[in-house]
Order: sequence, then structure tokens, then C-alpha cells
Amino acid sequence: MAAGKPAGKILILATESCAYPGADAVGQGHMSYPANTYVLRVKAPVLFPEKFYLDCFDKGIAGIIIMSCGVECPYEGAYEALAKRIDRVYELMKERGWDIRRLRLTAICTVCTRAFINEVKQMHDLVAELGPPGQEQQLAAAGSA
Amino acid sequence: MSTPESPKETTGTGKVGVYVCYCGGNISDQVEVEKVCESLRQLPEVGVARSNMFMCSDPGQELIIEDIKSGKVDRVVIASCSPRLHETTFRSAISRAGGNPYLYEHANVREQVSWVHHGSEATAKANRLVAAAVAKAALSEPLQPIRVDVQQRAAVLGGGVAGMKAALELADRGLEVILIERSPFLGGQVARLRHLAPFGEDAAAVIAELAGRVQEHPAITVQTCAQVEGFDGYIGQFRLQVRRRPPEAEEYADQLAAGSAAGAQLGDVVPFVGIMPQRLPENLEEQEITVGAIILATGMRPYQPLRGEYGYGDLPQVLTLPEFTRLWHAARSQRQGDLLVVQGRRIRHLAIIHCVGSRHIPGVHDEGGRGYLNEYCSRTCCTASLYTANLIRQTYPNTRVYEFYRDMRAFGRGQEELYAQASDSQVMFFRFRAGEEPQISPTSEHPTAPVLIRVKDVLTFNEELEVMADLVVLAVGQEANPVPGLVELMKLPVGADRFLLEVHPKLRPVEVAVAGIYLAGTCQAPFDVGETCSAAAAAAVKAAAVLTRGYVELDPFVAEVDLSRCQGTGACVEACLADGALTMVDMTVDGQNVRRAQVNPALCLGCGACVAVCPHNAINVKGWTLKQYEAMVDAIVAEDLAA
Ligand SMILES: Cc1cc2nc3c(=O)[nH]c(=O)nc-3n(C[C@H](O)[C@H](O)[C@H](O)COP(=O)(O)OP(=O)(O)OC[C@H]3O[C@@H](n4cnc5c(N)ncnc54)[C@H](O)[C@@H]3O)c2cc1C
Ligand code: SF4
Repeated sequence: MAAGKPAGKILILATESCAYPGADAVGQGHMSYPANTYVLRVKAPVLFPEKFYLDCFDKGIAGIIIMSCGVECPYEGAYEALAKRIDRVYELMKERGWDIRRLRLTAICTVCTRAFINEVKQMHDLVAELGPPGQEQQLAAAGSA
Repeated sequence: MSTPESPKETTGTGKVGVYVCYCGGNISDQVEVEKVCESLRQLPEVGVARSNMFMCSDPGQELIIEDIKSGKVDRVVIASCSPRLHETTFRSAISRAGGNPYLYEHANVREQVSWVHHGSEATAKANRLVAAAVAKAALSEPLQPIRVDVQQRAAVLGGGVAGMKAALELADRGLEVILIERSPFLGGQVARLRHLAPFGEDAAAVIAELAGRVQEHPAITVQTCAQVEGFDGYIGQFRLQVRRRPPEAEEYADQLAAGSAAGAQLGDVVPFVGIMPQRLPENLEEQEITVGAIILATGMRPYQPLRGEYGYGDLPQVLTLPEFTRLWHAARSQRQGDLLVVQGRRIRHLAIIHCVGSRHIPGVHDEGGRGYLNEYCSRTCCTASLYTANLIRQTYPNTRVYEFYRDMRAFGRGQEELYAQASDSQVMFFRFRAGEEPQISPTSEHPTAPVLIRVKDVLTFNEELEVMADLVVLAVGQEANPVPGLVELMKLPVGADRFLLEVHPKLRPVEVAVAGIYLAGTCQAPFDVGETCSAAAAAAVKAAAVLTRGYVELDPFVAEVDLSRCQGTGACVEACLADGALTMVDMTVDGQNVRRAQVNPALCLGCGACVAVCPHNAINVKGWTLKQYEAMVDAIVAEDLAA
């Protein structure tokens, strides 16, 4: 990782039946990725209300990747409910002037090691570009001034 | 081995015990374990923070047990390998110490830290993840596992060697077994072999013995032409919809005709087909069965070369090993002297090509029409080739045998001897590099003319050699036999090689992530028959351990309503994904008659769809509450955590 200012923190909500074992598989393959990433094991990310995401950004988390099971979700209907919720979170983020790319909904399987690394790298580059949450408003304000 | 013990002093006032594992260097090579302990001791929730060379070892577990017994610790955080490996180990250690096994959190600092990050970054990240686990543990409530009665019956899917062996192991332990086989026959792929390398057992005799015992065993019910088409439930109480249907017009037509031609009765071995233990169903038969455990023994399929691969399909002189085995059987019965004669053709020179359909290398080999590569070694084909070569040399000394191999993998008892024997009996070896496979071309239009094999031979320092052969045998490997229906229904993990995936290749080799479902035989990976039987016996013993206990304890991670917060909005009931798991019921709370949400723990999936929609956060999944996640995020963003 580039030296200097530490990169913003990235929260990864990883499902216990797909993405969490996927993250383990990345480790078993000794494939390196940026260390500003914190994986939280979840049964299903449908558990989190809109406010949880907004609070995370308020607390200073720079990016959130939801690594779900996608259509492979063991809880039928959960993925669809999650996708709808994330759309609402995007609306709320826009209202706050936040870049919605800070929140990403993906599907990562137990062996999707390359996809895992790609997602992490992309979010890492994005938060490096955007800075801490809220910075984009300042940038926009500076731009329009 | 010396165990690095941390000093015991602590500035914490809480009773969270933190235990950080060195994992014999796997973690400590990157993460400064003592520094993590030191930093964690600063947290007010933490009572003790210790390290050990191997936390999963007896001395490691003893540390936790002693701390709980002495009252220093009432909840535990382990920082080690993935919780998927040792969560149950540590829960049971806590129980043995008299603690509640759910007052426990896990920080994954091996797969998700030391194996992917280096140096100070790894230590800093480990620190935060352990601090987050402490924050969660501090908010944990003691929970009781949900106890479910077990149906003392197992379903075994697949009637090859693995399925039959697993069924017998279970039945011999007094357990009822339903053996479900898709085809009309028992025996699987072994029924298509003649002799079993390396020792040469008669394949038909092996399956006849197993199938005979299976049919006679009073505890085993066999259902052929049957498949599982519906599935729900959980360990101890799986419900399966089983359908038996008559084969479609062309399905199994050749095999059934072979049986009739041989005048085989039910239970007889039909060479290269298997054993038909019961009549074909006349109509569709549907049945629901309830079982406590499921063993998957759906096997593999031999690799089928693409048209044109080594001339296969274009040149009649090119056959696969299973095809040759059948012809060999016919040739033996019409033996004509010291020269092998196949379909009337005299075979003076026979070539065997190894690694057909196995050990593909991305960028070197082409997916062809398959859409995938088989990157693994099939493990049985070198030995089967050597066995075949020896057999030919012994039986028909005037037939020369050439083996074209990439690497020789004759591991295991009795296999090296086959290799030595092949050299002694003048089998000639040529070695090729990946991407420089032998090229086969016809020498004339005539289908009986020999073919020309060109190879760049590593053994003669890359000399380009040409060999004529009357017959080319392709040593095809083992491919996954896809079972998409079962994968979909049971949410089974599938590896990159398309075989079913175990939880851990070393520590939990016959279990899948779904509790109560076990893997037996080649549905998991290429195995020979001996290895298949070992795996099947292991799966059966695992299943028997669950079934004979009579009950299982399930994690209590289901929704729970906090009646002090619930206002009866009913939003959770609407959001719930499992029918009947959440309902609104009339009840009395604080002397008031109210309508509130109620959870049926047996039906709740624990997904948390209800949690997100409650405006009062009055419903949570036990062990995974929203407050706990918020506390973890707080620990991750905390400014003051020494790195
Ligand atoms: C070319 C070749 C040569 C070999 N030579 C040797 C040798 O010399 N020595 C040796 O030890 N091993 C040899 N082997 C390996 C041997 O064939 C396997 O070890 C053995 O067949 C594995 O048995 P199994 O029961 O796991 O699978 P299989 O034999 O594949 O049996 C699986 C069974 O499951 C059934 N099934 C599949 N799907 C379903 C479903 N959805 N529901 C119900 N039933 C289902 C199938 O119909 C089949 O009956 C060889 C393999 C190959 C390919
Ligand atoms: S066992 Fe031998 S022939 Fe088969 S894939 Fe492995 S190396 Fe190749």
C-alpha cells in the first residue's frame, strides 16, 4: 500500500455461508490485499437497517462492501429485500451528498477469490480518491465556488 | 516446544478473556502476538489477554478452562484461524469449564490477517479485529442451544462403491438406511471396470459382495431409478421428496438390453453394467422420507474426450481406457495366441497416453467445447495404465506396449511395484511436457492401419520421436459428476474443480458446510476404490455419531422479541421470510392486553430480515444483535486503539 496518509477504512459485511468462506479461501491462497479492510461475519446482510449504513459513514467508515451470497442466498427472498434496502440507502446517501459508490452490493461465493480481491482493490482505490465520507461535499463545494 | 506465556497483569476491569494464537508461526510470523495482547489489556472490558503456540491444543484450551474456573473470565475471545475450523472446539472447552458456550467471540487473524497482510499492517489489523470481537463479546448474552430430536435413519444418495459401503457401515451400527440410486443399477463406475489396480481384484466380485450384503441387510431399503427432488429441514430432521420413475425411452437402453441378453435375474452381476436389485418402476412413484443425516455418494464420471482430441472419435484406432477394458474382456474370451486381437485386428503395438482430461494448465491447454479445464490430477489413471500395460505384456507377450506420460504418479501401497514391473516387462516409456502432448495422425485411410504418434520425448533430451501403434488407449481421468439439482436444493458448496467441497480438506474432510450432510467417495475428489471405501466409512461413522445420540443441539441464533420495546407494529411479521416463524399474538404485558410479535424458534431461519424493519429495534437475532454490530464498528473506527 502507498505510504503516507492511511487509507480510509473499508467495512466488509460477509455472509457466513458464502463470502466469509470466500475471504478465508483468499487467505488459504495467500493472496494479498489492502489491510484497511475489516470483515464482519453476518448470517445475512438483510439484517441491517438503512440507518446502520448511514451511521457507519458518520462514524468515519469510508467504504462498505456487502458481500452477499447473491441469488445463492440460503434465505429465500432475503437478497431481493436487501437489494431494495440498498436502493433506499443510495437515495439517503444522495440526499447527504455522499458518493454512492462508497456502498457496494456484491455477491461473493466460497471460491470467488479473484472477485473478492477485485472488489476490495476497487473500493480501496475509490476511498483513496474520495477521502473520508463527507469529503466529496467539500470537494463539490470547492468546485462550484 | 516452549509456550510463550504473556504476563498476567491487567489494567482491565471486565471479564472478557482474550486468547491469541501463534498457530506455530502461521500467525506470529506476521502479527506481533504479544503486542496485540498488550494492547488488548488496555481495554476496560478485558480481564486477561494471553497467547499460546496452538490455542486449539489441550494446553491452549486449558488456559481458557482455568481462567473460567477461577472466575477471572466469564466470556471468551479467541484470535486464531477461521472460526469455521475451531468454533466448536472452543465452545466445548468453555462448556467443559462450566461456562456458557455462547459467551464467546472469534477474531480470524490467520486466514483474514496473517496470510494476507504483512508486518505492522498485520499487527494493527489484528488489534482492531480482536478489539471488535471484545466489543461484541462484552454485549453477549448467555444462550441455550436448541435441542432437536433426531430421526435415527439416514439417506445415502448414490449406489456405487461409496454409497453401498456407507450404507453397510450405518446399517451394521443398527441404523436404518434408505439407499437412493439414480440408475436401475448398483455398482457405479466400478461395475464398468474389469480388474482393480493395483492388486487386481475382480471388480465384479467387489460390487457383487457389497450389493449382495446391501440387498440382504434388513436395515437397508434400496430405491433404484430414484432421485431426491425436494429437500428441507435441518440436521436430525431432513425431509426429502424422493421420486422413482421408469427410465426414459433411450435411457439405460443398452445396459438393460445387456442384462436381458445375458439372461440376468434381479441381483445378478451384468458385466460392465452393474447389478439390478429391483424391478423398474412402472409409473412415477413419489414418497416423502424423513432422515436425520444424509450421505452424498453421487460419484464421478470418467472423462469423455472431445471429438478429435488425440484423434478420438475420428480414428477408430483411438479408444478410452474404459472402452478398451470392455474390448479386452471380449478379446480374452476369444484368445488367439500370444498377440492381442481386438475386434479382429492384430495389435502388435499398443500405446497408452496418460493425463487425458486431467492436469490442464490455463494458458497452455484449451477449454475446447467443454467450457472448463480440469486442473487436478485424477490420481488413478497412472496406476490403471500401468496395470493394463502389465496385463497385456503378461497375457500377450508379442504385443508391445508404449506409455506416454507427463509425470508418473504411482503412489500408495502396491503401485510402485506396478511401475517396476512395467519396466521389467519392457513396457517402453516416453515422457512429454504439458502443451507438447503426443500428436496422432492416420497413416492411411484404412481403419485398421496403424496410426503414427509423434512426441518430443523428455527422456531422450527432447528428441522428436515417431512411433507406430495399432491401438491408442487414452487414460482418461475422473471428472466431477455434476448434481446441480442437489447443489441447489441443499445449498452444497462446490469447489473450483466442480467436485463437492468439504469444510476442511485435512480437519473435516467428509463434512460439508451444511450440518448433517456428509461426503463419501468420488463426489468429492478423484479417489481409487480403497480411498473411496475409507471416505465412505468415515462419512458413515460421522453420521452414525449424530444418529445414535438421538438428539442434536442447534445454534440458538434465532430471532427474539424484546417485549419492553415492542409496540406491536407488525412490520417484522411482514418482513419475515419463513412462513410461521413470526406471528402476532394477543398477550398481557405489564398488566395490559396487547398484540405483540412472537417467534417460533423451530421455524425461524435467523436471517434477521425482521431486525432491519423494526422501528424500535425490538427484535434481534440472538448472538448477532444490531447493538453488537454497532459496537464492532465503533471498535474498528476507534481513535485510541494502540496499533
Ligand atoms: C478410467 C478409470 C479407471 C479406474 N481404475 C481404477 C482401478 O483400477 N482401481 C481403483 O481402485 N479405482 C479405479 N478407478 C476409480 C473408481 O472407479 C472409483 O474409485 C469408484 O468408482 C468410486 O466410487 P463412487 O461410489 O465414489 O462413485 P461412482 O462409482 O461414480 O458411483 C456413483 C453412483 O451414484 C449414482 N448417482 C449419481 N448421481 C446421483 C443422484 N443425484 N442421485 C442418486 N444417485 C446418483 C450413480 O448412478 C452411481 O451409481 C478408475 C476410474 C476411472 C475413471
Ligand atoms: S494419475 Fe497419472 S495419468 Fe492420471 S492425471 Fe495424474 S499424472 Fe496424469
